[in-house]
Amino acid sequence: MRWMTLSLVLFSVILFSLASTAARAQGLAFVIDSGAAAISVVDVASAREIRRVPVLREPHHMALTPDHRFLLIGDTAGNELIFLDPVSGGVARRIPMPDPYQLQFSPDGKTLVVTELARNRVDIYDAGSYHLRFRLALGSFPSHINFSPDSKTAFVTLQQSNQLVAIATGSGDVRWKIDIGDTPAGVLWLDGRVLVAVMGRDGLAVVNPANGAIERRVATGRGAHNLFLSPDGRTLYVANRVDGTIAVLDPKTLVVQREISLPGGPDDLDFAPDGKLWVTRRFAHSVAVLDPASGKYEIIEVGRSPHGIWLNTHDHLPRAVAGAPAGHS
Amino acid sequence: MSDPLDTIAGWIAEHAAIPLLWHLGLMQWEDLAYGWALFAVYGAVQVALMYAICLPLERFFPIEHWPDHRVEWTDMFYTILARVGILPLFTFVLFFRVQAAFSGLLADHDLVAPTLERAIPALFGHPVPTFILYALILDFADYWRHRLSHRFRWWYALHALHHAQRQMTFWSDDRNHLLDDLIAALWFGVIALAIGVAPLQFPVLVLVLRFLESLSHANTRLSFGWLGDRLLISPRFHRAHHAIRAAGAKSCNYGAVFPFWDMLFGTADFTATPGMTGDPKADEALASGSYLAQQWAGLRGFLHALGVMEHSQ
Repeated sequence: MRWMTLSLVLFSVILFSLASTAARAQGLAFVIDSGAAAISVVDVASAREIRRVPVLREPHHMALTPDHRFLLIGDTAGNELIFLDPVSGGVARRIPMPDPYQLQFSPDGKTLVVTELARNRVDIYDAGSYHLRFRLALGSFPSHINFSPDSKTAFVTLQQSNQLVAIATGSGDVRWKIDIGDTPAGVLWLDGRVLVAVMGRDGLAVVNPANGAIERRVATGRGAHNLFLSPDGRTLYVANRVDGTIAVLDPKTLVVQREISLPGGPDDLDFAPDGKLWVTRRFAHSVAVLDPASGKYEIIEVGRSPHGIWLNTHDHLPRAVAGAPAGHS
Repeated sequence: MSDPLDTIAGWIAEHAAIPLLWHLGLMQWEDLAYGWALFAVYGAVQVALMYAICLPLERFFPIEHWPDHRVEWTDMFYTILARVGILPLFTFVLFFRVQAAFSGLLADHDLVAPTLERAIPALFGHPVPTFILYALILDFADYWRHRLSHRFRWWYALHALHHAQRQMTFWSDDRNHLLDDLIAALWFGVIALAIGVAPLQFPVLVLVLRFLESLSHANTRLSFGWLGDRLLISPRFHRAHHAIRAAGAKSCNYGAVFPFWDMLFGTADFTATPGMTGDPKADEALASGSYLAQQWAGLRGFLHALGVMEHSQ
């Protein structure tokens, strides 16, 4: 009888472990709660917050290290860079870093660019050693970052100066700096062009990366904040903060195909394996899990003012539009 | 379970503040707009809470009876301005810049800005004990700021505005001269930089403390009992500080939330019978003037105390 009981217990434990593995197989979402000084760890399978990792003051954004060992979280007011295990969510270490707002590694994994939004500086670090190579004062409120595919140029928006700047990552020289419109935010290299979401206007500016010429503007909605290319490279999504919408664009033509209503201040987003978009809602202390096909979404409550989001279900995002001619990426 | 006040603040940010900033071409401040909305919503709740609890206390257990309540309207204006109005907005923008400059400067040199959590890592992830420790340190600092404001003539010339009110009610907590508020902000700014205060992390606890400060000014016989009066400052304890005989340099009961500092530094008086308040030597405009008249009279007194301006009645 005792053996039977023991067998039942063991069987239950194995079943539970298998079930847990199945749940974990879909991975975790890390959501930065800027106003709650915490990182919400959300189980992707059950769409539930499972725990919170406390940080010091005000984290905003994150980046996966090129070797995929750590998820770096920038705590701006805490002046810390936090190294998180991207699988377990455990804190591995912290290093002092002034005002790390946005942070992004170059495609070749050799350079880390960090913007100090409150201190008006752009820092270029060696990605392996975190040694500061260049510190540049280029304008007010440096914010979002993106790179050319060859990693030689970093593009940074200057939110209060209303400018976009192209920086040579090797020398720290400014290649060009242009006026782009009121409060530029998200920036993305796409198909040989640099796209900038201009928050004080109603859409994107399309910029020639060679000389900084603005080639055209594309209306997507008021308060265009950030833009993301889908993993299959077939869809471009733009989060419009003021209108409370996600605009769906053809990345080849930049024609807006439709708009999905998503109130609550849509900000960053990431892509889940099932094709859904996980979108932070800055003013609604939640993440929306949005089905882009139907426009319907479910809500996951997280901490105050959720900002950056990353799912550990993928390693990286595509940098090329599907079907684009070679050399255009 | 989300905080309903966060939800209201988010709604204000999304539907009022952010669209307004967009139309004004000021979207670069949209991050701070939400912080301000949160501050304003919690401020509005403070005011509502004060009204709901303190008004019945003043109505049913008053110390003084006044036929006319018109002078209290100015105090009400001070409260709205300080807790839900424009002052928090200035604090936000100013503190954002100063804090970023100071802590970033330290981090430039691989130094970490001081915070209690770094000094005591066990506090990490435990908001309530963290906040209590922060509150104790800030209250200690405030005790000395307040005590010194009675000590120096030029400073008391400003602070007299707070003491001049003869009809002290729960609205009187925020009646201060703008320069006195500025000195207090700088004082707290320095302390905050030294210990790394982040009030938005603890909005509910800030709400409770601010409520206690308002309650301590209420025109009511309420005391917290022998032990309670020695743990938290009651209306009875704080009224002794506002008593006519306590105006000026020789006052007592300087504390704002905790009475420990008065007990420790020998300025506590638990024996005073609650009575009339005010400062008989203060300019009448400080007591019964309009908001602007009070500010002007305070500035005049301040400049006179510094010898910059001749005194005129």
